[in-house]
Amino acid sequence: MATTYIRGKQVEPEMEAPHHDVAPMSLYWKVFGALLVLTCLTVAVSYADLGKASLAVAMVVAVVKSTFVVMYFMHLKGDDRTFTFIFLSTLVFVGIFFGLTFADLSTRDAVNSEWGYHGWANEKGQIIERTAPAHGEGGHEAAAGHEAAPTEGHPSPEAAPTH
Amino acid sequence: MATTTVEGALAGAAHDHREPSYIQASSGLKAWLFTIDHKRIGMMYLASVWTFFFIAGALALLFRLELLTPNLDLLLHLVGGENAAMIHAKALDLYNKLFTLHGGLMVFAFIVPSIPASLGNFFLPLMLGAKDVAFPKLNLASYYLYVIGASVVVYAILGAGLDTGWTFYTPYSTTTGTAVTTATLGVFIMGFSSILTGLNFIVTIHKMRAPGMTWNRMPLFLWAIYATSVIQILATPVLAITLLLLVMERTLGIGIFDPAMGGDPVLFQHFFWFYSHPAVYIMILPAFGVISEIIAVHSKKHIFGYWAIAISSVAIAIISFLVWGHHMFVSGQSEFAAVLFSFLTFAVAVPTAIKVFSWVATLYKGSISFTTPMLYGLMFLFTFTIGGLTGIFLGALAVDVHLHDTYFVVAHFHYVMMGGTVVAFLGGIHHWWPKMTGRMYPETLGKICSVIIFIGFNLTFFPQFIAGTQGMPRRYATYVDQYTIYHELSTVGSLILGVGLFIVAIYLLVSMFKGKQASDNPWGGASLEWATQSPPIEHNFHDTPHVDTDPYNFPNIDRSASIGHH
Amino acid sequence: MTTTTAPHGGAAPPHGHDHDHPSFLAHHFDTPAQQEASAKMGMWVFLATEILMFSGLFLAYAIARWAYPEMVLEAHHHLSIPMGGVNTVVLITSSFTVAVGVRAAKIDNQKLLQWMLLATIFLAGCFLVVKYFEYSAKFEHGLLPGRFYTADYIAKDLTVPSPLGGPHTFFGIYFLMTGLHGVHVVLGMCVMTWIYLRARRGEFGPHFFTPVENVGLYWHLVDLVWIFLFPLLYLVK
Repeated sequence: MATTYIRGKQVEPEMEAPHHDVAPMSLYWKVFGALLVLTCLTVAVSYADLGKASLAVAMVVAVVKSTFVVMYFMHLKGDDRTFTFIFLSTLVFVGIFFGLTFADLSTRDAVNSEWGYHGWANEKGQIIERTAPAHGEGGHEAAAGHEAAPTEGHPSPEAAPTH
Repeated sequence: MATTTVEGALAGAAHDHREPSYIQASSGLKAWLFTIDHKRIGMMYLASVWTFFFIAGALALLFRLELLTPNLDLLLHLVGGENAAMIHAKALDLYNKLFTLHGGLMVFAFIVPSIPASLGNFFLPLMLGAKDVAFPKLNLASYYLYVIGASVVVYAILGAGLDTGWTFYTPYSTTTGTAVTTATLGVFIMGFSSILTGLNFIVTIHKMRAPGMTWNRMPLFLWAIYATSVIQILATPVLAITLLLLVMERTLGIGIFDPAMGGDPVLFQHFFWFYSHPAVYIMILPAFGVISEIIAVHSKKHIFGYWAIAISSVAIAIISFLVWGHHMFVSGQSEFAAVLFSFLTFAVAVPTAIKVFSWVATLYKGSISFTTPMLYGLMFLFTFTIGGLTGIFLGALAVDVHLHDTYFVVAHFHYVMMGGTVVAFLGGIHHWWPKMTGRMYPETLGKICSVIIFIGFNLTFFPQFIAGTQGMPRRYATYVDQYTIYHELSTVGSLILGVGLFIVAIYLLVSMFKGKQASDNPWGGASLEWATQSPPIEHNFHDTPHVDTDPYNFPNIDRSASIGHH
Repeated sequence: MTTTTAPHGGAAPPHGHDHDHPSFLAHHFDTPAQQEASAKMGMWVFLATEILMFSGLFLAYAIARWAYPEMVLEAHHHLSIPMGGVNTVVLITSSFTVAVGVRAAKIDNQKLLQWMLLATIFLAGCFLVVKYFEYSAKFEHGLLPGRFYTADYIAKDLTVPSPLGGPHTFFGIYFLMTGLHGVHVVLGMCVMTWIYLRARRGEFGPHFFTPVENVGLYWHLVDLVWIFLFPLLYLVK
């Protein structure tokens, strides 16, 4: 007798839970196998010298692994698409968090360098010239360190030549 | 005034008896403390947030009185000490603690939970036509987390002392000997409460809507609550981790925020404002929702630009995550980031302005009745617009460098938070008081008080704009003589404001017991909460209501009786 | 008024659907499907908050690595790749077992469900044991976070007395990230035990398995976090 509604739409008053698709056991084994293989791969790759690409490779492998977990173990594939929306939009906001923070950090020196200032002040207000850029290539200068006031007589790691 | 303008799941209409209301359903302290009824939890929140509002407000009055004169005097009498220098230092210390407690309580214990947790809890399921929120037990848990968290903060500041301001900026907060760890624990717990409330509301709106309650038939208050919840979900976890990092920095000295160890104190501000800027929209968005309801119902006119208002709430929620750097223009972030954030800040003004214009357009040719809620609604339009526009001043990079950390900022956020959120909250309470308590508040006294509050509020904060532009810095207990006049006006205004708010609290309390019986729909509202009895029955509606029109359909309301039940 | 009033039986029950509510259906839901969808959505929203919370630590890590790449490179040599690797396999396996457990609940295989939950709890315990050995090794060598760091500065390039960006920061972040993750593992074990006890009472089956599914979702997230932690902390290059 009772009419029932889900999310504003009238439905048949079924007291059974809706039919659930049960994935075959083989799928779980395949995903599990793939995760193990990828774990071995990421460890193996870490011993190879890929230089700058190693981080990217490690992250790609991690993303592939998590995609497997999310799609098949967490059943995002085939489930309510709202969940996919929630999950992906969360990642967008993580991206905003990273992106805008690094938008600051990575450009801390931009204006100073443009104007030819390459030092920073210590706590006494004296300007300490930076003798050498930290790591040769740009973008690696320790921006966070620039806030620092290294104590005198103790050059900061950036000031010391590395490698 | 029609007694029943909405036909619906009314006890009186469908049955010949009125069921006991949620208040009468069960009695005793235990029945309230362990209730999972969203309406009772909403009322408990209402009582709690108002308690904290009055505590924090009293503190504000105390240091406003101190600021009446340029030099320290009042606070000197409140502290003891062996010699004049010691008394002086202690008084300054007390001043720091007072404004920290005022800010901390107002932000975390009052404004953040104010409208969503009290009015939101009460009316969200009612307006959706649901029996309760999706997770009633979680709802109660989040109330207790809130109470525990707020108590910890009060203890931390009163018992142990905290003088960092509500922002906990490093490096001071990592080095000061005061109770930062305890206070952050309290805020952390309140953050959990906020997350759970937001989670509950989002799921409720998605999954508990009554038949026919499509997204475009949802009252705008719910859209605002939805947008608020999205921010609570996405931003508050970052606050949790920020506070965890801060505590770890204090206890372990990890060095992420410590320049002497290779860290960066500005990083703390990035982390902090990633939460706290969106959090100001947690504070103001529900107020937008309340105003949408008040303006439409009390001018008996279909809201102008329903979709524009609804979508702009969501737009504000998203854009609010892109602008946090405007709090850091002068704190050492890069020039590039400052310009970027300044630009993005202007973007948030667009959806906000869309709302204000829509409300004004709703008023146009409406049949406005100047009831107390409406007076608060109009007051909101006035004060919030000032608050919002001065926000544009502060978002402009060059202007902000001059105005940063002055009373201009203080005045700006009080115009937004107090002139916006608190005024809307007052309006909302009056608007829904008959529904919540089944009693009317005294209308004439209500109108008088709203005028007192309007005068007091503007007298308190408008002079602060002027003092700020002339360079009066915030957070100082003393000042040079040239600012005396502004502080005098401000203090007088704050006393008027305090009196106004106090009278409101008294007459509301009295009206709970002695007020005139309210009808089920005293304002002729068309949304679902008016379709049940006043106060609502325990399960909100006798039967799941059925919706086939939108909630602002006033002119046809008597004829097409659009809300029924199956 | 568009529909007729449902008849009320007797003295006005609080609402009219009691008699056809299954025992697991809470009073405020109309159908089990609605309850299940709500619970699951609540879990996903909760996972979103978890992701954002961890993202703060990942950002701290990213900044440390970006600012002091050599320091992170040198410091990470003190983490044991075999131990981290074993723990990765353990967690992935536990993710697998819990997923199979949810499947078992759906197909009403009570025995399998209980065994899979037990296996997951056991694997979580293994993870913590390995973690314990890892942590104690760090403690022994003074590789502690922040100001408790007592080991020598590791790389010869970093032997300068200035503590700027020293390995104490790396270990601070290491302990924070793995510590918070570990707390999640412990919480997961507690919840899993509760679910196991309920499963033993036969509460779950094809009609009602949302709690199993939700604890599974939570557990997969713990796994997901580790999938990123492992290469970032242990496999720096």
